[in-house]
Formats: sequence, structure tokens, C-alpha cells
Amino acid sequence: MKKSDHDVIIIGAGPAGSTMSRLLAQEGFNVMVFDKRKELGEPVRCGEGLGSREIIAQDIDLPKPCISTEIHGAKVVAPDGSEIIWKDKETSGWVLERKYFDKWLMEQAVKQGAKVKSYTRVIDLIKDAKGKISGVTVSRAGREPYEVSAPLVVSAEGLEAQIARKAGFPAVSTLYDVDTCYQYEMQEYDHENLIELYFGNEIAPRGYVWIFPKNDKKANVGIGIGAHLETGVKEGGIKGATPREFLDKFIENHPKLKDASTLEDFGGIISVGAPIDSFVIDNFLVVGTAARQVDPIHGGGIALAMEAAAMAAKAVIAANKDYSEAKLKPYEKVWRAGPGKKVARRLLLRKVMESATDDDFNHIFKTIKAEDLDHVMQGNFAPSIAKVVARRPQLIGILKALI
Amino acid sequence: MPIKINNSRCIQCIGCASVCPTGALELQGLSMVFHPEKCISCGICARACPANAITFTPKNEKEKKKRTDSNEKK
Repeated sequence: MKKSDHDVIIIGAGPAGSTMSRLLAQEGFNVMVFDKRKELGEPVRCGEGLGSREIIAQDIDLPKPCISTEIHGAKVVAPDGSEIIWKDKETSGWVLERKYFDKWLMEQAVKQGAKVKSYTRVIDLIKDAKGKISGVTVSRAGREPYEVSAPLVVSAEGLEAQIARKAGFPAVSTLYDVDTCYQYEMQEYDHENLIELYFGNEIAPRGYVWIFPKNDKKANVGIGIGAHLETGVKEGGIKGATPREFLDKFIENHPKLKDASTLEDFGGIISVGAPIDSFVIDNFLVVGTAARQVDPIHGGGIALAMEAAAMAAKAVIAANKDYSEAKLKPYEKVWRAGPGKKVARRLLLRKVMESATDDDFNHIFKTIKAEDLDHVMQGNFAPSIAKVVARRPQLIGILKALI
Repeated sequence: MPIKINNSRCIQCIGCASVCPTGALELQGLSMVFHPEKCISCGICARACPANAITFTPKNEKEKKKRTDSNEKK
């Protein structure tokens, strides 16, 4: 039998792919990472927020250029303008410079012996005579495709997940399970190092506006709204979601933003749906956003991806070269028993928020306090629900989903 | 073609490719490439596009237009 070119092929050098490649290379694995982007980290399509806890858990010291600014807490604003500010460990973190962060994270993997090829697209899977996945076909800079072999292929492809789909995973999101987002990097915005979130059906239907502070009085000001909504007329005359129109309106009405400059336009689609049903098959596993391991409230995926990548790496190391579904399954089991539970609770919370009217939002914000919110964000809903429902029994219908 | 990508509006977010059920859209280099042979004319890409960079012509309307055009020619 011909020897494989590599021990593991990883598709995508985002946070999941680079973390997994680093952890495997550290253990002596011959790892090859392919990324379709011309430059790792670009284009940025992200709000760039990251809780610090997750990184600390992996013993990574982020260097300065990766961090735009520190976050000391969060401010949540109701449709009527009333706000809650809360500051604690859960809400502290960083706003990153993703273009440096992604590249730096991959550099750490390369230092450990992993190999990466930029501008190299994985086109298809290769199977051996017995039908087992045995490698991939890649094309570098659009040139002639060639084959690369490995007994394990990892999809860390992000939301598109084209190769995961080819492997048989249902990694395609419906419009209902994604938010369509638009974001400006703006200057000058006098912020207080707080993440700011604005709710309301007039502001951002099935979503919210965020202001993530950055250094030098800059901020990422963005919006995500349900992609299934028909909020306006799009090119060609069809109805669809129009996030930029809502964002522009928000900025126009925001006294501190309306005269600010825009330094960059970004946009994108984020998943706010459930993780896919299975993460592993023989010789193939899916990790990060490709597996929809994302927060269903804000669509954030960096921390979850890095955590899942560490779990997957552990299972791969323990599999001792037998990459059967059964040997890879511990990764999935550990994930579903840990972060998976939190994601499931947050999915419920999203569904509750979705059915709330502006009036409900205002009431909820008046009733609950910062410490309650803290519980809610952790998925511990009971105490806050009791408080809210005591004064407004009609809300019990939408809130009972959480109990 | 059921869709047309306006490259001056496109921000290369790859959002369309993420929601396309058939993989008819993909990023190649710095622009989105459309594979019409895979397209099933569902319009999901255009509805989701945050930059409103995709013009979608629903199939039935297109056929209607074709019919009117050919009638006019007659």
C-alpha cells in the first residue's frame, strides 16, 4: 500500500483549522492545511469580539497586533432606550483584529511543524478502492488540480462547508437559520470599552445592532437580521432581507455615530441555527462553523471553534491512527456533553427573543437586573423568568419554552 | 441566467455560497464565480446577500418575458 502524503489534511486555516493543526503538530503529526484565501485572515467577515476565557483556557498569549481593544463589559439597550450595563468575567474579553489574529494563530501551528498552503482550494474528496476517504484534490491559484492523500480529512471550512457536504454532512443552512449582516468600521466613536447591543423589531428584526469598540475611538458597528425576512425589495424586484438599510437608519438616529466616518464595509452571513446532527464519519470529521458550532444568539464562532478543535485533536491523538467513526466519536460526545448543551440552551433563548415584541423587550429590560442577565446568558433562566412573569403573565407563553 | 452578480457591489463575504443549497456559487480568488449548471433558481442567494449584489430573475417571470418578447417579434 502506498504511504499517504500526510497524517491529516485540514481544510481551512480559520480559528478551528489552525488550532487543530497546532495541537496535532505538537504531538508529531504530519499536518497539511489548505486555505482558499490569498492571504490568511482576509477578507474579514466578523464582528471580531472574543471572550478572553477561552483563549486563556488554551494557554495562548495573544500578541498586541491581534488585539484591538479590551472589553470590560456589555451594555444592552431596549427598544425604548432603557439600558442594562453589566461587567464581569463573562462579559470581559477582547475585540480582535481578525486579519492579524487568524494569521498569527496559523503561524503558531507552523512553528510546531504544521504546513499550510494559502490560495489553495480543496475541490473534491478522493476515495480509495474500498470507498474510504483517502485524501483530497486541490487547486492552487486556479491552476491544474492535483491529489494529496491522508487517512484523515478535517473540514474546518466555515459556513460554506462544500467538502463536508460532499462527504455527506447536511451542512447547508436554511434562510431561517442564518442572519444576514452588514458592518462598518467607524471612527470616531467615543466608547467606554463596552460591547453595546441594541434590540428592537424596528432596529433589527430577529437580530440586533452591535457596537464593538476598537482602539483609537474606532468601533465595528454592525447589524444582523433574519435572512428569511422580507424587509425590503432587492435587485431584480424580489423581496428579501435588507440589513444595510436598517444599519444606515440606526446610524442616522444615533447622535454619536451619525457624523462618524466609515473606514471599511464588511458583510456576511452568520449561522444562528443548531449544530449538524453528526460531526464524524470514517476518515473524516467536521469542526467549527462548518459543523454549525456557533452561538445561536450572536453567531459568534471563534471561541467555540477553538474549543471544539481542541476536543477533536484530543480524540484524533487518542485514536492512534485508526480513524474509524467509532474512534473519532469521543470528540463529538465530549462536545455535545459540554459546549453543545450551552449552545442548545442559547438556541432556545434565541427562539424566545424572536417571538418577543418591542413592548415585551421593554418590559423585560425594566424587570430584570444585570445579575439576572448574567444567569440568562448562561442558560439559567428560571429566576429571571419568575420575575418577568410575575408582573406580566401573558409572557409566560413565550418564556415557557425555556423551562 | 437566473442570477447576475454585480461585482462592484459584492463584498466577497461568501454569504451566498454558504446558503446556496447546490454549491452553485464559490469564491475564486477575489470574486464570486457562478456555476449556472448547478443553479436551481431558488433565489436564496439573492434574498440573503447583505450587499444586495445579486440580481435574481425568477424562472417563471423570465419565461413570461421570453414569451412576450417572441410575441412582439411576431
